[in-house]
Order: sequence, then structure tokens, then C-alpha cells
Amino acid sequence: MNQLGRARRKGLQGLLLAALPWGWLAWSSAQAQRMNSGQLLSLEDMLQPVVKCAPILQKDVTLLAPILADNGTLVPVQVQVQSPMTAQDHVTHIYLLSQRNPVTQVAVFGLGPWNAKADISTRIRLAGTQDLVALARLSNGEFRYQKMEIIVTESACVDAS
Amino acid sequence: MSHPDKLQPTDAAMDRRHFLKVSGTTSAGMSLGFFLPEKGQAAEAAGVTPQLNVWVEIEANNTIVIRYARAEMGQGSLTSAPMIIAEELEADWKTVRVEYATAHENLRTKRAYGDMASVGSRTIRNSQEYLRKAGATCRDMLVTAAAQKWNVPASECKASLSKVTHAASKRSLTYGQLAADAAKLEAPKTVQLKDPKDWTLIGKPIPRVDIPDIVVGARQYGIDTQLPGMLHAAVAACPVFNGKVKTMDASKVENRRGIVKVLNMGDFVAVVADNWWRAKEALREVSVDWDVGEHGTLSSAAIMAHFKAGMEQPELAVARNDGNTSEALAKAAKVVEADYFTPYLAHATMEPMVCTAWLQGDKLDVWSSSQNPEATLSVSAANAGVPQANVKVHPVQLGGGLGRKSPQDFTKQAVLIAKAMAGKPVKMLWTREEEIQHGLYRPASLMRFKAGLNASGKVEALHIRVSAPSILATLLKLPLPKGIDGQAVASFNDHPYDIPNTLVDYAQRNTNVPVGFWRSVGHSQNPFGRECFIDELALAAGKDPVAFRLDMLPNDEKSKRDRGILQAVTKAAGWGSTLPAGVFRGVAETEGYGSWTACVCEVSVNAKNEVKIHRVVIGIDPGYAVNPDNIVAQFQGSVVHGLTAIFWGENTIKEGRVEQSNFHDYRMMRLNEMPKVEVVIAPSGGFWGGVGEPAQAPLAPALVNAISAAMGKRIRSLPLKNHGLTLKA
Amino acid sequence: MSLARVQWPDKMAAGDVVKIRVLIQHPMDTGYLQDFTGKLVPRNVIRMLTCTLGGQEVFRVEPSSGISANPFFEFYVRATATAEFKMNWVDDKGVRGELAQLFKV
Repeated sequence: MNQLGRARRKGLQGLLLAALPWGWLAWSSAQAQRMNSGQLLSLEDMLQPVVKCAPILQKDVTLLAPILADNGTLVPVQVQVQSPMTAQDHVTHIYLLSQRNPVTQVAVFGLGPWNAKADISTRIRLAGTQDLVALARLSNGEFRYQKMEIIVTESACVDAS
Repeated sequence: MSHPDKLQPTDAAMDRRHFLKVSGTTSAGMSLGFFLPEKGQAAEAAGVTPQLNVWVEIEANNTIVIRYARAEMGQGSLTSAPMIIAEELEADWKTVRVEYATAHENLRTKRAYGDMASVGSRTIRNSQEYLRKAGATCRDMLVTAAAQKWNVPASECKASLSKVTHAASKRSLTYGQLAADAAKLEAPKTVQLKDPKDWTLIGKPIPRVDIPDIVVGARQYGIDTQLPGMLHAAVAACPVFNGKVKTMDASKVENRRGIVKVLNMGDFVAVVADNWWRAKEALREVSVDWDVGEHGTLSSAAIMAHFKAGMEQPELAVARNDGNTSEALAKAAKVVEADYFTPYLAHATMEPMVCTAWLQGDKLDVWSSSQNPEATLSVSAANAGVPQANVKVHPVQLGGGLGRKSPQDFTKQAVLIAKAMAGKPVKMLWTREEEIQHGLYRPASLMRFKAGLNASGKVEALHIRVSAPSILATLLKLPLPKGIDGQAVASFNDHPYDIPNTLVDYAQRNTNVPVGFWRSVGHSQNPFGRECFIDELALAAGKDPVAFRLDMLPNDEKSKRDRGILQAVTKAAGWGSTLPAGVFRGVAETEGYGSWTACVCEVSVNAKNEVKIHRVVIGIDPGYAVNPDNIVAQFQGSVVHGLTAIFWGENTIKEGRVEQSNFHDYRMMRLNEMPKVEVVIAPSGGFWGGVGEPAQAPLAPALVNAISAAMGKRIRSLPLKNHGLTLKA
Repeated sequence: MSLARVQWPDKMAAGDVVKIRVLIQHPMDTGYLQDFTGKLVPRNVIRMLTCTLGGQEVFRVEPSSGISANPFFEFYVRATATAEFKMNWVDDKGVRGELAQLFKV
């Protein structure tokens, strides 16, 4: 928790420095399964364009998706964000970010207090095994996120050499 | 030597009394820590101690159970992968028993076994590091347990052949005696791996663990699955690909003895009966009116025209562009051009597509002859409409995979049928006709080569254009960066030769014929074109084909291996020595799947156009050779598979459907036609390359180069039967 | 115009937080796949979708080619009073779609 505390003070920079080794390890383990469908982005590359310098924490966001996706054209995904969803404190946007799709920002959802619950579901395309990030923007300008690796079992066929 | 290594076809019970349990917290355990460390840490951060599944279990009687987490389809990694663990573990191989890890266990433990797919010749090379670490970790814990028991420093204890010994006090304990204590220890954070020169097991020609069962017919393949009350299903999809059922009339067979149900599944029809013969015979009398859409007129001629049009396309995807190829070609002293063609190929695994599924409530059991148990699990769950956690994928041996059994189209069919027959187990089996006519074919490919040589015969420019379907875009629906399908241009965009101006471009030309991964994929056809064309250039330059290649390979670190294997194989073949009259040689050198390969063939062609293959000398540098005997077997098998394809393999299309249906028109090699195959294994160390597929690559060009030399004319398309050539027994 | 469907619970009381599901028929062509002649099928995806209740926006999504064909979305809304539910969308080609249904509380 100390790490996160420091990160809160240093903002995005600090947290990402702590997060980077994990990102690199994920990258290198996926490299062993290197695929033609594009380079894997680092977590920073995925978040930075949206978050910029705003505070961000890896909490309050639940990302539900199958660990094993049978194919990459129809992956069911659900994002739940813990939030009172009041006029003073609610989720304004939920972003779904892909680590290796040609288009990183899979979708952006616009929500408000009228939703009462920050809980959305959809079906997405994944160009191969990769990390998926659910990023929530709060009404106070801060961000929360969660990420998970989704194995697209069909594309395990691709030659890694 | 006795081998107590009987493989259990069912997943092992988890309630073993003595097994190495890792209480892993900080190191995230010996499994997770090595290939998904980030995941392990994340799990800890969330306050969850992962429930670990482990690679090694040790029984009190000193039997060491080692798990194998991929599929076995004859490629032998069922033996080689456990050998790697056993090496570091210092296990006496005589005491080892190999058992499968399962996809459902992998899911439950958040992928403690990692990737389970047997594809891309990468089981050994992708898993060797974490397997070695798993073995070493267990070894260290056993040594520590012994040291603690004897109250001596661990450094004075030595592990070897399933025993830990303390030389100074002449004490020793077996792994079986130490297992319980070792299981209570915390896994070491770091382990020391053996130097390859100290290997005592890896590199030895250990007999495969499944041989005894195979020989006596006791081996359980997917097709052998038997369950109480099991029903049998025969299926037929539309003969024209992607067609759907318009109307189905099963009145003739519905009430026949033994017929349980006839199902219209939209894109296929299934007859479910009490035995497969009845199901299959009844299926023939179910009349189906298929909706073939616009695809009912497709023909091989139209496909060829489509490929040729691709060649002339103004906009092409560029895979490689060095220098200025068009300029260099214009300036060249001599220009050589040639078109090469390779046909669609069905896999023809000896065991056709087969899958048994049993849906009981919301629990699903699947026995699928699948190269990818995780894909089987996810596809089964999705199609049965049950949670993934409720699916058990039971491991079975495959009667051949060859890349056909990685996609789960047949698993999906079986699960849908089982869903319709809820409560009853159903084994769905394809006929040979269905397998050949509903393949995921090796794509047909048209390749155009154009090279420019200077006055002294040096290749200054090379332009290779491929017009062919894309497996990645059509089967996997992957977006292609810059429009390039790496498989379609494999061995072209990454060719090893020092040619200053190189242009490789690609016209994606999909057709209604579904394509997929045939053993060695793009390497089953592109090296044929490349290495045969290189020979044409050698001829044009008036140079010896081997010397020509060696001259063209740059003097760098990577090309060291191209040179190495080419020299090793040509030396073994006696390249340059005098041959008897009428006998000619051909050579080829290729790389792929992390390994380097080469081949020399010696042939003679008689007046009746019968090809006698006197010798096949084929070699590989796989970095490290885990089981040389298995590599020899893989290469011999690859030669059978390769020669079959080279001489007779083609699937032609007429009226939207594949014309071939069985082995009478999709001929296989015969026993008496098999030539002598000499395998050269030349591991140069320092890397781990694949073995399952690389052999296909140099065989076709080496053979065709020899035949072309014998006939005095170039052969530029396969199969050879289309040139009037046959294989002489 | 594409077919679209929206679903919510049959019986809703004021104050209930209800789940709304929408499904729109649309190929969501990614622009990366090619037709049989090798020509790229141009990208055509729904790029904006909004839902309103009685004129007030209650849901908005900007999909990309990463949303599967026949887009499906689920979200929640607090039911207050009977109102007209309207869903509007537009794709890359500029084709607009609309679905209106009475949201009875």
C-alpha cells in the first residue's frame, strides 16, 4: 500500500513506474507467442492518452471477462465501477482499452447519475491474446482502472517464430 | 529396461497422499512464478493465495509423476517435455510416470500450466525454461528436506537418480521418503539450472512412453472413447463451403432401427444412432436441399484466374523492400523469371475429426481429439451455454493432428449435438469423405519470382510476389498490419541471402475455400518456390548450387547456422562426389520455427517418368536436441507426409466443392515406396528450435531440384503427378 | 435501416434501478478484412449511439471497430416516470438509425 500512497502523491508517473515491470513481464511472456497482429502496448501507452496527468488508481473497477475466449470476434465483457452515482460523485466515462488491437480505444461509454449503477456490458473483438483495460473517469476528474489478460485460444495457432 | 511409465488416459486423481505442495507466497509458487509472474503477483496483491497445480508429484513408493500439459499427436513431446523436468529434477527415468495436465485444472489454477496448445512446433522451445525451473525447484526442496533431516548443509548433499545422498556420512534417502517433508517447505526463489554439458537425460534417445501401449493397441485415442449408453453421430456439412440447409427430409431413416434422431443444425446435418455404421449409412439417405448461395460455381480454374489477377493488382501489401528492386532489375545483365504454384491440401489425419461430448444439466464432459485443450474448453462452454468452470476436457491421444485439429469446428459440432441429446453422451465422428471435403486446407499459392544477376553471376535484385489466401484474415479474423499475412510470405520476407535489392509483396486473394494451418503452414510451399528458384539462378550463373548458396549467405552471426546445417547435410550426402550415371542431386536450405534445416536428395528418372529416390539426406539444427530418436522419427514421418503431398497432393474444386473424397483419389504413399532417409541432427547449441514442422520445408525443393536436374527441365508446380511423374517403389 | 431491439423488465416501479439491453444489427466492418477479390472492405462501424428517456440522455457509447458485429450493450437506469425511450445511432457512412419505445413505469 505504501507504493500506492507514493503514487497518489506523484500521480500517474509514480504508479506507472511501479506498474511497468509487470507490463514488461506480460510483454515478454507474450513475446514468446509473438503474433503478426501488431505490437503489444505498455500499460502506460494505453492509459496516457486518456488519463494524461490526472490521478489514477487501480481499484474500484471490476472487469469481468472470460480468461479463455474461444475466438476473438465475440468476447463478452462487463465493467462494474464502485460509485455512489450521485450528482456530486459519479462515473462520467468508462473506456475499454486494448493492448494489441489496431484501434486501442475499443469503446467509450458515457454515464451519469441517472444510471444509478456504473455497470455496463458489451461484446468486443480481440486481435489475439492480450491485456484488456477498463478505465473509469470520475466526476472529480480522477481515474480508476482494472486490467486482465484474456487468452484468445483460437489464435494460439499462429507460428511464433 | 522396464518402464513404469504407463500413461493414464484419464486425468489423475488429485488426492495423492504424498506430493510436493508449494506453499508459495512471495515467489508465487514454482509454477506461476516462471511464466506468468505478473499474474502471480497480482493475485497476491488481491490477497488470494493461488491454488497451485504442480508439475511433479512423488508417491511413497518413489514413483515420480510428471505432468504433460499439451496434446500428443505422435510428435513425441509427451516424452520429451517430461524428460526436461526429469533432467533438472535428477529423477531416475525408470521411476517416472507421465500424466496429462488438464485444461479445466489449468483454468481452475489461473493457468498454472500456461499455454496448452500443441501448434507451431513450439511445445519444447516455449516451455523448456519453465519446465527446467519446475524440475530444479523440486530438486532443491528435496535436497533441503534431506539436509534438514540429517542436520547437514545442503551443499554437502547431492541429488541424483531419485535419491539424495550425503557422501560424507554415507546416508541416502529416496525422493519417495523425502516427499512429505519437502512438500512442507517453501519453494526457493531462485534455482540454478544445469549447464547443457551436464545433461544426463536430455539428448538421450529415450524410447517414447506411449510406445508399448501403441504397439499392443491399448493406446486410447479420441476415436476410442467409449462411455456407457453412448450414442454415435455422423455429420454432413454442405458440400459447397459455407452453404446452409434449406430443407431436410429424413423421413426415410427416422424410424429405422437404431436411429435415435436426425438433426438439422443449420450449417450441418447430423444423424444420431446407437452405432456409427447405422448413423453413417442413414445419413446417406437423408435428403438435404442446400442453399449454396453464389458459391456453387467455384472452380480451380476460376481460382487460378483470381490468383493471376492478384499478380497484376496495382496496390499490393509490401512485406520487405530493400534498396530499389525495379531499378536494379532494369540494370541487370541477366534477368530470370518464373512462376511457381502449390495447390490446396487437406490434412488427411489418419484419425478423422472426432469428439465425444456429454452434457448433464449444466455440466459438460468433452473428449476431443484436439491440439488445443484450452480452445476445446472455451468453445465447448460457449456452445453448450454452460460456465467454463463446469466443463471438463478429458485428455486423449490424437491419431494425427497436423494442424487440422487446432481449430475447434468439430468440437463445436459435437457439443451442439450433445446439447440436442441432453443427458446422453454422443461421439461424433467424421467419415474420411467429410474430412477431405471439409478441410481447412493448406492455401493454394501462386508465387512469382524475378531476379537480376550481374555479369559475374551475383544476384543483385530479387522480387517475390505472392498471390494467395490469408489464413490469419479468414480463419482467425485477425487484422493484418500493413496487409501482410506473415504465413503467406514466410521464408520470402525473411530469406537469409545477401541480396541488396529485395522486394516482397503480397496480394491477398481469398476464395470460398476455407484455409487453415497445414503442417509447416507457409513453409510447406514457399521454400519450395524459393529454393527451386535459387537453383534456377545458380544454373543461370553457371555455379554449383551449394557453392552458390554459401556465397550468397552473409558473413554474420545468424547466417552461421544456415551455413552450418547446409554444410553438415551436404557433407553427409557426399555432395560433389561422383554419382552413378543417371543419378542426380538436389539441395535446399531453409529456416523456420526457430530451427535451421537442409536437405539433399538423390534421384533418377527413367523413360517412363518414374522417379526413383535413392537417398534423402535431411538435417536440422534445433539448437538443442532433447530426444534424438524422436527427432529422427519426426523427420522420417515428415518425409512420408511430404512425399505424399509432393507427388500426389492436391484438392481441386469443381462446382464449388472439393473433387477428392478418399484415398483412392487423394493418394497416400505406400510402404514399399518409402526411400531411405538419413537424418542429420546437428545441434549447435545456444537456442531452442522446433522440430515438428521444419522438415517439410527443404524436402520439396531438394527433391524437385534433383528431378529437374535429372530431366533437364524445371518443375515449377506441385504435385508431380501433374507432370506425369510417379514415385517408383 | 438496421433492425434494433431494446429490452427492459416488464414491470417497473418508480425508483427501481433497471437493466436495459440493446442490440443493433450492423456488420461493424473493421476495414481490415478483404473481400474475395482482395479488396479491402472499407471500415463502417457505428461510431455513436445515444439513448434518451423523455429527451434526457441516459446512455452514450462511441464504439470502434473493436466492438463485435451486431453491437450489444447493457446498462442500468433509474426508472422515474413513464417516458419515451429513444435510441439513435450513426455509422461511418452517415447512415442513421432510430428506435423508439414507450418506457412504462
